[in-house]
Amino acid sequence: MPQPVLRMNSISKHFGMTKALSNMSITLEASEVHAIVGENGAGKSTIIKIMTGIHQPTSGKIEVDGKTRKITGPQAAREAGIAAIYQEPMVFPDLDVAENIFISDNSTGVLVHPAEQRKRARALIERIGIKLDPSRIASGLTLAEQQAVEIARALSQDVRVLIMDEPTASLSAHEAEQLRKIAQNLAGQGVAVVYISHRLEEIFEISDRVTVIRDGRHISTKPIAKVTSDGMITEMVGRDFGKYFAKTASTAQDEVILEVRNLTLDGVFEDISFDLHRGEVLCMAGLVGARRTDVALAIFGVIPPTSGSIKFKGQTTKFTNPRTAIEAGIAYVSEDRRKLGLAMPMAIKSNVSMATLDSFLSPLGLLKREKEGKVARHFIDSLNIRTPDVETPVGMLSGGNQQKVMLAKWLNLNPDLFIFDEPTRGIDIGAKAEVHDLIRSIAAKGGAALLISSDLPEVLAMGDRILVMREGHQMSIVKHSEATQETVMMHATGQRQEAI
Amino acid sequence: MKTALNRLQSWEGFLLCALIFIILLNVNLSPQFLSFSNFINLFQLSIEKVIVALVMTFVIINAEIDLSVGSMMGLSACTFGWLVQGGVPGGFVILTCLIIGVAGGALNGWFVTKVGLPSLVVTLATLIGFRGLARVLVEDRGINEFPEWFDALGQQGFVGSIPFAIIAFFILFAVLYIVLQRSGFGRKTYVIGTNREVADYAGINTSRHKMILFIASGLVSAFAGLLYAARVGAVRGDVALGFELDIITIVLLGGVSIFGGTGTLFGTLLAILIVLSLRNGMALINITGHIQTGVIGLLLIGSVIAPRIHLISIWRRLKGERL
Repeated sequence: MPQPVLRMNSISKHFGMTKALSNMSITLEASEVHAIVGENGAGKSTIIKIMTGIHQPTSGKIEVDGKTRKITGPQAAREAGIAAIYQEPMVFPDLDVAENIFISDNSTGVLVHPAEQRKRARALIERIGIKLDPSRIASGLTLAEQQAVEIARALSQDVRVLIMDEPTASLSAHEAEQLRKIAQNLAGQGVAVVYISHRLEEIFEISDRVTVIRDGRHISTKPIAKVTSDGMITEMVGRDFGKYFAKTASTAQDEVILEVRNLTLDGVFEDISFDLHRGEVLCMAGLVGARRTDVALAIFGVIPPTSGSIKFKGQTTKFTNPRTAIEAGIAYVSEDRRKLGLAMPMAIKSNVSMATLDSFLSPLGLLKREKEGKVARHFIDSLNIRTPDVETPVGMLSGGNQQKVMLAKWLNLNPDLFIFDEPTRGIDIGAKAEVHDLIRSIAAKGGAALLISSDLPEVLAMGDRILVMREGHQMSIVKHSEATQETVMMHATGQRQEAI
Repeated sequence: MKTALNRLQSWEGFLLCALIFIILLNVNLSPQFLSFSNFINLFQLSIEKVIVALVMTFVIINAEIDLSVGSMMGLSACTFGWLVQGGVPGGFVILTCLIIGVAGGALNGWFVTKVGLPSLVVTLATLIGFRGLARVLVEDRGINEFPEWFDALGQQGFVGSIPFAIIAFFILFAVLYIVLQRSGFGRKTYVIGTNREVADYAGINTSRHKMILFIASGLVSAFAGLLYAARVGAVRGDVALGFELDIITIVLLGGVSIFGGTGTLFGTLLAILIVLSLRNGMALINITGHIQTGVIGLLLIGSVIAPRIHLISIWRRLKGERL
């Protein structure tokens, strides 16, 4: 039996009264892809932070190559050959790609040779399998490209344990596929890859072993061959989620609430036309770069379209800013919570009341703070938000709970049209099911939902109809009864059109 | 109990302790310190600055800055002197000065919200521009023939022995305190200062909000310029020169983050009281003005560092208590 690369031995981590981890033991072998799954708040982040030296365990020890080792900080972790990449990439916006990759590389001495550095960067980028000019400035990169820079940075160091925390959450299907290949490649070269993902099908595709954790405790570690999807989910949540992927009957009514005709934004998307009925859930599927978000922002008034028309509730409208769209009854739940969705340092209640502040004002313009607290508490109960109180800054909540606060902000507006942009990205399966139920109940009450999602099972479970986009073009609108993963993917990748 | 403790741990709590300490030192040096007349003298000497600091608190919480306030005070005071000297009736002149304040603020606001320039650059330009206009109007010769009632307003008691400017300050403080800490407008000020895009996407009219704040800043600066003219009884082209730095110092010392989103008007009030008592105390033991300025500068550095230490502890807690 070869020596494990890394062994966490009965690690516990307490934060005050909170036990984030209790007696957690995990062993990482060389050349394996080891998936760790669990709901948000189960303790995955804490495990990563202990492995990378950001947190110190309260008790227990870590062995690297059989020797007990204290990982006192990120520097020590790097020396031990442990690197991590995250869902939200950390790049220096004003540096170029090559400089970002070699940001902590001292091998070339004091002087940097830009040409040489770019050559090495290009080699690393090729290993990832994407096209990216090493001299591009990072602030102009897409999320997916920034992600690639981070992976290249980790690859540039001599990694023995590579932790990938939700790495594919923001990548297109094609890019995610390539990333999974990279993960398997690295494992083939002897690296222990820790893979954390909410996409269960990914776990089955690439991992060798799966560890399930729940409430900070180790539940099981099994070879992937001995795991079933249902069994894993049951272990994760401690309850049965059999009907999670089941499509419920459509609640669509006759009345058309949103009529979009030939909507075009020069150079971005063109000729988008669709109807959305009351009570209907219309999904927008496509790969990253399909320009679905841009269409949503055009409807929401952020970027006025160049041509085409939008009719909302029977009236032709030209929203020039979000305010007018909100007043008309449209809510846009952004995919980017941090930048566009929530004021992170502010209290939950301030975020909940943000889009409807006028309804919390007395005739003199003073805030009704009791009403604000009451409304926030109402949503904490009804959406099952885990928080000590309404005054807690949203930045302190987990991703799933932040997402629910953002939903509460728009639910309080009670809009006729909800635009959801990747509403379940990076949140755990329990919260995901709750968000799905919420969208269905909005539709059942006569609201309309435009749901942008890159998660195919979600698209198939939620969409009464599915509008597939590719590179700014509307490829087709598929009825739910005719939709399969394969047909949607064929439209999204353009294979269908070429066949015709 | 817990909230009282939290409050003490906050920057305002620290300021309050510092203030009490400084006051005790001052009382020790001179029992006269706590007398009513000393209190009025203390305020009267810097009253124009502290009035403008109240509005500056809003501007900085909103993640903007207005460097042109000192020049606007000068422009307003000089316009007053110039028009009065030309024989225009006083009441009409005051109105004109306030309108100039509104127009100057609107100019700043227009460049920031419509053209999209950073307020640091815009108000640096108007700092120079407004000052230039003031100097053109009055040059360096000085004008001191004001109507008697105007001089009296600045130099004598308005209610009992309390001058008009101090009453105006406390009324303004009470109104602005309610606006910032209790009203929807105040909440929007914080939201926009924390993250303007989030505010935009939530349907808040961020451009109008910023425009209102710049206009308010111009108006109050013009008002403060008039108070200065009345108190001193004379104007010159360099009236209120460099006041913007003292004003911004007070606001930052009060715990308002230069990046916007945090701070309170109560913090600004404590900072005002600290700076005033400190200067007064140092004057009592014959420390010269330049050294006084140096001490205030050290305080400012401390105020920039201290909340940061506090932020680090919040950040640690944040990482530790992720739910």
